[in-house]
Amino acid sequence: MQKNKIKGYARSIRKFWEQYKESKLGIIGLFTLLFFILVSTFPEVLAPYPVGVLQGDRKNLLQPPSSKYLLGTDELGRDILSILIHGGRISLLIGLFATLIIAFIGTFIGVSAGYFGGKTEELLMRLTDVFLVIPGLPLMIVMASLLGANFFNMILVIGITGWTGTARVLRAQVLSLKEMPFIESTRAIGASDARIIVWHILPNVLPLIVAQAVLRIGGSILSAATLSFLGLGDSTKISWGMTLSYAFGIGSIFNDYYWYIIPPGVCITLIVLSFTFIGYALDGIVNPRIRER
Amino acid sequence: MGIGKIIIKRAVNAIILVFIVMTINFFLFRLVPGNPVLMIISPDMTMEARQTLFIKYGLDKPLHIQYINYIREVFKGNLGISFVYNRPVFDLVFERVPATILLLLSSYIITVILSVALGLVAAWKRGSKFDISLIVSGLSLHSMPTFWMGGLLLMYFSVNLGLFPITGLSTPWLVHENVYSYIKDIAYHLFLPMMALGIGNIGGMFFITRNSLLDIFSEDYITTAKSLGLKDKTILFHNVLRNAMLPLTTIILIRLGFIIGGAVTTEMVFTWPGVGLLIYWSVLAQDYPVLQGAFLIITITAVFANFIAEIVYGYLDPRIRYE
Repeated sequence: MQKNKIKGYARSIRKFWEQYKESKLGIIGLFTLLFFILVSTFPEVLAPYPVGVLQGDRKNLLQPPSSKYLLGTDELGRDILSILIHGGRISLLIGLFATLIIAFIGTFIGVSAGYFGGKTEELLMRLTDVFLVIPGLPLMIVMASLLGANFFNMILVIGITGWTGTARVLRAQVLSLKEMPFIESTRAIGASDARIIVWHILPNVLPLIVAQAVLRIGGSILSAATLSFLGLGDSTKISWGMTLSYAFGIGSIFNDYYWYIIPPGVCITLIVLSFTFIGYALDGIVNPRIRER
Repeated sequence: MGIGKIIIKRAVNAIILVFIVMTINFFLFRLVPGNPVLMIISPDMTMEARQTLFIKYGLDKPLHIQYINYIREVFKGNLGISFVYNRPVFDLVFERVPATILLLLSSYIITVILSVALGLVAAWKRGSKFDISLIVSGLSLHSMPTFWMGGLLLMYFSVNLGLFPITGLSTPWLVHENVYSYIKDIAYHLFLPMMALGIGNIGGMFFITRNSLLDIFSEDYITTAKSLGLKDKTILFHNVLRNAMLPLTTIILIRLGFIIGGAVTTEMVFTWPGVGLLIYWSVLAQDYPVLQGAFLIITITAVFANFIAEIVYGYLDPRIRYE
């Protein structure tokens, strides 16, 4: 019995991989992401120079790329390549944790609205509409500046403002799911709402939740970079967003410090793009609305 | 249901939304840990001055009275006094609105024209190399921080090539002979931020226009038109674009509400003297009355844009008009 179950899982994973492989963009995204995760896991080993505030090369401030410093140095004489190698971890973590909050709130609201219907649905969808109409970035700015700028608050602020899309997609899915015969029959034999949601609805919408979440991680990383740029980032930690913010802050644009301002933006774009590629590949497999096309 | 009823229904909806937004705005700035007085009244004052203002602003009253007072003051156009400028927030925000509207609308026109044109080509040549390269560029654009792309444009075109001015809305202290030279000066300053924001927003817009045009290309009447041997150009302009007007207009109007908040970082990069730059400065200076007032005005504008979108949609779509 147990063995069959494992075999069944293995088969569905293989089948999923067969479908995923079809998407060239999905594969490119996956390998880009794996590269960044690898680098972010061992920055201490991979970075050629230390990145402490006092560990810069005082004789070589803001030097353009050279054979010694491949991407040049910053205003403290630190190697920019080393800073970027260290910076991925925080950017990835912020994106990941913020997305967990988004997935949690979005799932909770979307599933409750879709499943219970009536007044509950009306109320929850009204709430979603309110969050949808309030411009996201200004809301994030206001909340971050009121709560204070640090790692934890950035995650919270991005999480609280970004769940509307997930909630809408899940509501639509649950609406059609709850009319399915197997849900009807489960209800007929007297299963409680909680049991139906946890054991029958959630497992069925899980792939959709994951696909939505992967798409949101990229957006969350972008939001984090924007907040950092606005001076609402965590200045105690090294991240790509903060690096970009410092690069702007010391006037890299007006002094043509291209080596300082281009690379962190490229890193952010690539990581966001990798999540977007993976997300679209996943969405194409699990979202029935798109699959029909 | 007639169009009049739709307008009334939507208007009631919008008014409810405005109240919810005002309520959120009131509580957001009071639920902050710490004394709300510190948020409303400058920390540099003496104890007595603070006490006086404490009573003047009604902060000694219970929360629900404060709330009612807040709503009443907002309706009178009183959004408080800035700590930094020592001037009414309402004036500070509204004198910066025209610059923001100019930037938003002009950049949005760029976004719309390019997205519709590219979306049309992509949908027409669906699955071709061109379509796929457009999709990849669209996704890349969508994955870039807009302020970063704006910064690179500024660095290349203004700093390196010297083609455009570096900051501001117009050349300072320049005396203009006539209105035309003034307009020319503003246009010259506007060009780069407009392009940066306009191109930055294409990423999101292109996919929506492409998808809604794809829906139309897959309709039976297009297949019929093709099988009748009509010219591509005829099909494109007579059948596709005509039928695309409704979904496209809706999208264009709805997205307008979304981009309202998006100009903040572009205004910062180009030192464009709009509401976004004001928000940034008030964050830096912890000028909470300005932050609160600007946020309220932006949100109400978004509600209003949404309302207009719904009305126009109701007017254009006979299915809704004659429901």
